Amino acid sequence: MSLFEWCQWLQHTRFATAISESDWLFPLIEGSHILALPLSVGMIVILDLHLLGIAFCDGPGRKLVLNLMRWCKIGFAVMFLTGGLLLVTQAGKAYGNAFFRAKLILLLLLGINAAAYQKVFFPKMAQWDSPTGAPAGAKFCAAFSLLLWIGVIVCGRTMAYQF
Amino acid sequence: MALLLLLQSWSNWAPLVFVRDSKYGMPVVQSFHLMGLTILLATVLLLDLRLVGLGMNDYRLSWLARQLKPWTLGAFTVVISSGILMFLATPGKYLGSRPFRLKMALLCLALLFHFGVLRRFTAADSDARSRRVDVIVACFSLALWFGVGWAGRAIAFIP
Repeated sequence: MSLFEWCQWLQHTRFATAISESDWLFPLIEGSHILALPLSVGMIVILDLHLLGIAFCDGPGRKLVLNLMRWCKIGFAVMFLTGGLLLVTQAGKAYGNAFFRAKLILLLLLGINAAAYQKVFFPKMAQWDSPTGAPAGAKFCAAFSLLLWIGVIVCGRTMAYQF
Repeated sequence: MALLLLLQSWSNWAPLVFVRDSKYGMPVVQSFHLMGLTILLATVLLLDLRLVGLGMNDYRLSWLARQLKPWTLGAFTVVISSGILMFLATPGKYLGSRPFRLKMALLCLALLFHFGVLRRFTAADSDARSRRVDVIVACFSLALWFGVGWAGRAIAFIP
């Protein structure tokens, strides 16, 4: 079975059709996916703006990371859960959608970017007190993250117009 | 009805026609709406979480409120501008919509509550207040702002 056939099969399972045919389940999942944006992406954006020296510049970045991450993790858990469910109900339609594919690639790049930051720069965050002292690489990660998240939101919104 | 006719004649203004009828006009405006919403609600969330002591506890409440304020206002400007643009481009979709009316009513309440009540609670670090009042204020703030979001989402599903 090809990946496309598998996506179509997935979209027509009883589980998937039960969600997409429900009057309230699909809107509930889709609404949660959108309204989890501030709790997930919003927290990352605040951190990116700090690293770039645009906002929340007073105080050490390490403290900001630790304060934001607890809630941010919950936000991303909601995002992946609801996003996964939305994908299941529309897998066949999403498969060939260029904006959906672009969104997945951007998310993959964001994952690599975040993992690289976590490994290379996070352990060194105690060494700088304000974003002016942050190394250029850390600032690059922040700018990259900001641009990619804008791309994810634009692709996510636009893909629905192609269904 | 007269209002709908007036708004529909306005909606034939070239920039609005472009937003409505071009392939990517609407998705781009809606993307701005979502990006603004992300920042706006993130600032409200952080302020409310700090007020009840569930997040950002390493920062003083009044400091956090001052730092967040320009971002709340900036994001609100983006959300409201993109919202007005969508409304003017397709007024027929919104004028008769019940969720849209609810959204506007909740938006007015959220703004009044934010600047009339919440800002007073977050302006000073007084610990003379009871925590119970802080919790009620934070819950009200979150319910109103996220209510605006849910009502907005409902426009697409409920007439």
